[in-house]
Amino acid sequence: MSPAVYGVLFVFLAPVFGGLLAGVDRRVSARMQGRIGPPLLQPFYDFGKLIQKQARQVNPVVEPLLLGHVFFMAVTGALLLSGTDLIFIAFVFALAALFLVLAAGSVNSPYSFAGAERELIVLLASEPFFILMMAGICKVTGASTYAGVLASPQLVAVQLPGVLLAFLLVATIKLRKSPFDISTSHHPHQELVSGLTTDMSGRMLAYVELAHWYESALLCAFMVLLFNWSVPLGLVVFAIAYALEVLVDNSTSRAKWQLVLRSTWAATLIFSGGNVLALFLLSR
Amino acid sequence: MTSLIAFLIGFPILVGAVLLLVTRASLRNPIVLVSSVAVAAASVATVVTFGNGDGVFFGLPGGIVPGQALIAVEIAMTAFIVVIGLMNRRIAAPIMAVAQLAIALFLEVTGRMPDADPQRLFWFDRLSMVMVLVIGLIGTLICVNAIGYMHDYHRSNPMIKGRRNVFFSLLFIFLAGMFGLVTCNYLPMMLVFWEITTLCSFLLIGYTRTPETIGYAFKALNMNLLGGLGFGLAIALLADQHLGLDLARLTASPASGTLLAAVALLAFAGITKSAQMPFSSWLIGAMYAPSPTSALLHSSTMVKAGVFLLLRLSPAMSGSTVGYLVTFVGLGTFLFVSLVAVTEQNTKKVLAYSTIGSLGLIGACAGIGTPELAWVGVMIIIFHALAKGLLFLVVGTIENRLYTKDIENFDTLLSRLPKVSVLALTGIAGMFIAPFGIVVAKWAAIRAFLQVPGGQGAAMIVIMAFGSSLTIFYWGKLLIKVLSMRSVGEYERSIERRVSRYEWLTEGALAFGVIAVTACIGIISDRVVGPYALSAFPTAGSHTFLNIEPAMLVVMLVAVLFLPLLAVWASTRKYDASDFYSSGRNANASHVMGAALGGSKSVTLRNYYLDGVVNGALMFRVGTLACGGILVAMIAVGMVVR
Repeated sequence: MSPAVYGVLFVFLAPVFGGLLAGVDRRVSARMQGRIGPPLLQPFYDFGKLIQKQARQVNPVVEPLLLGHVFFMAVTGALLLSGTDLIFIAFVFALAALFLVLAAGSVNSPYSFAGAERELIVLLASEPFFILMMAGICKVTGASTYAGVLASPQLVAVQLPGVLLAFLLVATIKLRKSPFDISTSHHPHQELVSGLTTDMSGRMLAYVELAHWYESALLCAFMVLLFNWSVPLGLVVFAIAYALEVLVDNSTSRAKWQLVLRSTWAATLIFSGGNVLALFLLSR
Repeated sequence: MTSLIAFLIGFPILVGAVLLLVTRASLRNPIVLVSSVAVAAASVATVVTFGNGDGVFFGLPGGIVPGQALIAVEIAMTAFIVVIGLMNRRIAAPIMAVAQLAIALFLEVTGRMPDADPQRLFWFDRLSMVMVLVIGLIGTLICVNAIGYMHDYHRSNPMIKGRRNVFFSLLFIFLAGMFGLVTCNYLPMMLVFWEITTLCSFLLIGYTRTPETIGYAFKALNMNLLGGLGFGLAIALLADQHLGLDLARLTASPASGTLLAAVALLAFAGITKSAQMPFSSWLIGAMYAPSPTSALLHSSTMVKAGVFLLLRLSPAMSGSTVGYLVTFVGLGTFLFVSLVAVTEQNTKKVLAYSTIGSLGLIGACAGIGTPELAWVGVMIIIFHALAKGLLFLVVGTIENRLYTKDIENFDTLLSRLPKVSVLALTGIAGMFIAPFGIVVAKWAAIRAFLQVPGGQGAAMIVIMAFGSSLTIFYWGKLLIKVLSMRSVGEYERSIERRVSRYEWLTEGALAFGVIAVTACIGIISDRVVGPYALSAFPTAGSHTFLNIEPAMLVVMLVAVLFLPLLAVWASTRKYDASDFYSSGRNANASHVMGAALGGSKSVTLRNYYLDGVVNGALMFRVGTLACGGILVAMIAVGMVVR
């Protein structure tokens, strides 16, 4: 199959993957909290309900910005799988995330605005890592595309242990898990006023969910890059990592933004930066 | 070709002289408009005449060598600096100016100054072509914009004595200096143009003649004269060692020995002029001047002269320790000013820090000296000149309408000044929205840094990763403010109608340019910037630069058009002020909340400035010290180790 086909497949299948992941997440979280939890397909039922509901439009720019958020998340994945330069992907990924910030910020309300600012802070916290990760992967394999990395005989994760470690930390941000869910106060906590989605309702909320499913699928695709020997291996590692995230999510309380920013930057600099430095020094 | 270059340099000087005498706006405005059109047309004609050929060298008609004339101009400029310096009781600038003149006179009197080759006074290649277009098109647009801006500026600042004849005169002389600088091949002549731009920016920054701006003007003058002194010393060194003063020959291949020392001194001059750390403070001070001055200094002239010189030196710095140190000055500047920018609340200052960061990136690219990075450097020059020129002019327009430069006061701009918002959003998208312009350049830079061996390469990538992410934060904050909406009354709606047609015309043209350049990025790369990079590094063999696939181009265009088009669409929609959620305490009007103890309060929302995590003032000092240290090391390495 040509790489372009994988790109198109991502656009259609990633939401299925992300939605199922969310369903499993809710079940597992419920069990950890001594509840039975909703059906596995509950996220899809929720999505179906939300998309039909009337949305309250606070201003005319929110909905287009959220659609932009979904569009660029899908495009990031499609470009990634269809063979666009990996470092370029890191930049498009940030752009996609930025649209959510803009949507929430444009509402100009106290809760949404605080959520948007916090999302911007976690974007600032996480973005250096993704650039470094992509640079590290390119350095190890000498490839610049998804297919090129998968074809490489080197097992990337072995040479990038520091990056893998930092990835686990940064994924906590991207999956909106406690203690780093400062912008959303999200998922199993089920809070009424939840950060940057406070003023989004009905189909707006459905778009946010959809984009998040794409985002989860993207993180999984990144994990496959690190375990490039086989896709199933990458998926298994991602599943283990995700289980860890859920456990951490249920056993920690939310951190302040200062701690999130400091700890993520420190981890990125020490683990990923140190890893990349070692890579350059050794490859002389 | 010769006559066109002579026109580009001579005509603006003539216009400048005429404008100095014209004090009536009704007469001045048409002169500015017509002259701008003439200069823009001449710059396009120059490029068209140049065609597709590689670098050409030429002299003045009749083989005239400007030796004595250069000395005469230098004496005049030095005398001017000495007089104005002493009048303001400043001693540093006169000393440096006199020192520089002394070097030139010494070389001339003792007969050490090598004769210029009358056929190689000028050098026009694709880099000059890019620069001539940037100066000739963007520079003149700024001049036209100033017609409208200065009118409003003096109306809203009645305390400032109007000397608009001087202002417009300086703008044109500035353009002349820049045209000379970017087409020059004979170093002493280049230095004269170099100092013309220094002097013009000094006078433009000090235009309002308040104690504050006079201070900043002298700061700019001192730092740039220090750079000019480095330039003069480089010439002295080259003359003393009989290496010649032909820029193209000197920078044709990697330098060593005395030549490398001279290159280090010239790079020092380039770093001062492009306001990289530790010399960033002069450009920040320049923010207090009227906005067209900021736009001119930041986008098409002055600082671009600095990075232009660095790019010219790039092949000579290639692979040397001096080159690597220049790269780290640039990257250090990029990182530290980005850290400062996230804590800054004044929009013009944020734009200024962003400019300095971009210049740092260009300098970093030039220092390494590979065709890929030369490509990146020129790409950033093009995108940055357009987008930043636009942004400064737009912020100037906003300032004249809303009387504020504070980011926090830009909220609901989309409702208050919808058309201006569209322009602002185009500029911001052009500057930073991934994946476009500067982001393409950052991407290419990281790609190229991956090839740099050893720990330097890793350090460069780590700095790029953090620096790039910081830019998202400060642009994101500005975007949130601009994109927010509220209901506006009839009076507020009328404010935008008072923006002059000069401003609409020029800012619209720049916004169009931003989009056009994005759409044509492939052609610009294939026809102009790519061939330039290959001709500057002839030994590098054939290269393919960034492979921009059609799918990526589409994504880029969508990304850059998304926000401006959204703003166009949203501003035509009726805004029904549906209240947001505020814990059930909404009062009647929009953005008013019920207060805890009864009554009501209007909502104010303030961006995060990372208080307690990033200390902007400290970061500025640390960056100045760090980059200053690297700079000293660079000169030491050039002088001693060679």
